Amino acid sequence: MYQALLTRRYLTSKIMPLLSAGAVMLCVAMVLIVWSVMGGFLNMLLASGKQMMGDVSVAWPIFGIAHYEQLIDDLEADPSIDRATPTIEAIGLMSLPTDESRQVQVIGIVPDGFDAVTGYFERLYWVHLDEPLPKDKNREDRRLTIREGFEEHGKTLTWPDVVRGGVEPAVVTGIEVSRFYRRRREGFIESRLGQILPGFEVTISVLPMNRKGGVVGTDSRKFTVANEFRTGLYEIDANQVMMPIGELQKMLQLDAQDIPDRDWIPGQIELGPDGVPRPVLPKAVGVQPARATNILIKAANGVSPDALEVEVRRIYEQWTQRYPDMGSSDGVPSVDRVSIFTWENKPGLKTFISAVKKETALVLVLFVIISLVAVVLILAIFWSMVSEKTKDIGILRAVGASRMGVAWLFLRYGLAIGVIGSLIGGGLAWTIVHYINPIHEWLGRAMGLVIWDPEVYYFSEIPNVVEPSRAAIVMIAGGVCAVLGALIPAVRAAWMDPVKALRFE
Amino acid sequence: MMTTAIAQPDGSATRAKAASMIEAREVFKTYRLGRVDVPVLRGASLAVGEGECVAVLGASGSGKSTLLHLLGGLDRVDAKPIDVDAANHVTYRGRAIEAMGAGELDRYRRTTVGFVFQFYHLLPELSVLNNVLIAAMVAHGRLGYMRQSSDLRERATDLLDRFGLAHRLKHRPVELSGGERQRVAIARALVNKPELLLADEPTGNLDQTTGASILDAMMSLRAETNQTMVIVTHDPATAARADRVVKLVDGKVATSG
Ligand SMILES: Nc1ncnc2c1ncn2[C@@H]1O[C@H](COP(=O)(O)OP(=O)(O)OP(=O)(O)O)[C@@H](O)[C@H]1O
Ligand SMILES: [Mg+2]
Repeated sequence: MYQALLTRRYLTSKIMPLLSAGAVMLCVAMVLIVWSVMGGFLNMLLASGKQMMGDVSVAWPIFGIAHYEQLIDDLEADPSIDRATPTIEAIGLMSLPTDESRQVQVIGIVPDGFDAVTGYFERLYWVHLDEPLPKDKNREDRRLTIREGFEEHGKTLTWPDVVRGGVEPAVVTGIEVSRFYRRRREGFIESRLGQILPGFEVTISVLPMNRKGGVVGTDSRKFTVANEFRTGLYEIDANQVMMPIGELQKMLQLDAQDIPDRDWIPGQIELGPDGVPRPVLPKAVGVQPARATNILIKAANGVSPDALEVEVRRIYEQWTQRYPDMGSSDGVPSVDRVSIFTWENKPGLKTFISAVKKETALVLVLFVIISLVAVVLILAIFWSMVSEKTKDIGILRAVGASRMGVAWLFLRYGLAIGVIGSLIGGGLAWTIVHYINPIHEWLGRAMGLVIWDPEVYYFSEIPNVVEPSRAAIVMIAGGVCAVLGALIPAVRAAWMDPVKALRFE
Repeated sequence: MMTTAIAQPDGSATRAKAASMIEAREVFKTYRLGRVDVPVLRGASLAVGEGECVAVLGASGSGKSTLLHLLGGLDRVDAKPIDVDAANHVTYRGRAIEAMGAGELDRYRRTTVGFVFQFYHLLPELSVLNNVLIAAMVAHGRLGYMRQSSDLRERATDLLDRFGLAHRLKHRPVELSGGERQRVAIARALVNKPELLLADEPTGNLDQTTGASILDAMMSLRAETNQTMVIVTHDPATAARADRVVKLVDGKVATSG
């Protein structure tokens, strides 16, 4: 009872408790802001990464998986799988109209299926806009002026063939591949050259390989760039080029091919139907089916990637049993040899994601250490407060307050400071995070201070969501820290000798 | 609690031993200053009967406050007294205070004793009224206090009113004069209706008239409730109003004329 009264009076009449509440507030706000922004950044990275590769992949690089249509049918028959789509991934070289070349990852896709699994259509960048982005006050965004057809070109991976009529196969490149552009703070992209890449021809070169993994030559073809895509994940946007799967199969010689007769003897001559002699060509004794190096799979609603991976493994194993005579070099690798992984474990992406995760953890650890400093600060403040209040402690003990009662007085006081500091700190963090983009913009305008440069960080917006569970953890921790800081001084107060305390000047 | 049969002020000196409420018997108290032992009380004895008012005189530094602290359970007698044959204990109604555990001692200080300190010792953050009520809050605990809060507030305001502070209930101690502060301290000591009031120079820092008026108030209260009191003083006028006067000399109690 008296503790409540004294806590209230002490809180409102001294500067010290306000300082310690301020320390708690700053620590809580700091940790929560950093956690929210860094965590949000990580989530954004993961979301955009995931969107380009589905939940689970089956991969058999270079040689490819044969009869993949059957595998996809088997997969899609399973209720835990929403869609599956084949792709081919290959290393390639792309020559730009500027006579520069880039090493790229060429991906052959079936546009509709690929979109269903990865949301690819959403990522197409050159889509006509009727209205400018909110921050684009001067209507500088190129997308306001491009024609509407670009989107369709991107969705079909085709470009109109002006000479022969109809359409020809085209490619869609990642927006960072060409290095034509500069990201603007307003959220759009500006060309450095005054030109955008779609409509230009590029040359794509790939290395077809034989069954032993040896390079059998190169294949270069010209394609028009139909559109560009932007996932937000730099690793993807700077490296990948999409083309129709059929084209890439032809270039890599992974398309359906006749199996030549082994008994064929070269150098034989025969008469053709027109009576002209010609060399005897090998007879086809069968057809080697077309192949895909990857199958991307999207889980049905509510199925986790890890659960899906188990399921895919099972279905894959069953599928291999359809082709008992075929081995890995025939395009039916056993379940032990093929790689099946969730998107988070995709080689390459995994190290990148874990690097960002570690970075977030590191920053958090740093701030937790700073919060420990706050505990020591509160301890120091409370220590001096207990010294200052020595006489009060003596008086309370003289009128019969117990040791526990006096200890509780200071713990309660610490708790009150912790609760007040945490609440204000939580509110402050929420406000700052919620308005972080306008605040950041204002800082940029007023003081030329740009901390989050979209040209560097890639995302045009700073993550601005405070997760309630994180807020709760940080705020409770703030309260606990304050109580911890008050604990030792409280014990000291409880064990003071009342007579000495009364004589204290 | 208080028996009217022994409440007569006359003849208390002779009768004190028989019905003593609080008794210090041959107590020793030594303070340690660095390596030197400073013996303050050396076999001091004092017995106070029910309803009695005893004045303790003595030179400055003679150990008056120390003795009062021992009686009020704020301090403990030496574990190893200089004279090993001495009784060396303080008893309240026959119960040795040294034998009380922490809880019992807290309760003794809360409910049995009211302490008025030499230097007021008010809580600077609290108002006059709350300075008085805080003793009640400590004594009754949260629930007890809330149940009786209106009664307790009434008692506190009555006491302050009696000491002429009715109009200063909301003031802070710093806004009061020394005499006013001392009256607040007395009201705090009395708010829980203690059996024993221990007052350490209640008028020591005040001028003659203020001191006298405070003493008047205390004595009129005593007349009503037959309050048992031990008053430390070096003012002969104050001492004269007590039933009995004792003097502390050389760490021992000598009955004074
Ligand atoms: N905690 C302590 N440590 C050391 N010496 C102490 C302590 N408390 C009291 N003393 C000494 O004990 C002696 C008695 O002190 P006490 O306060 O009981 O005297 P007093 O009779 O009340 O004096 P006054 O009339 O000045 O109030 C003094 O010499 C004082 O210095
Ligand atoms: Mg004294």
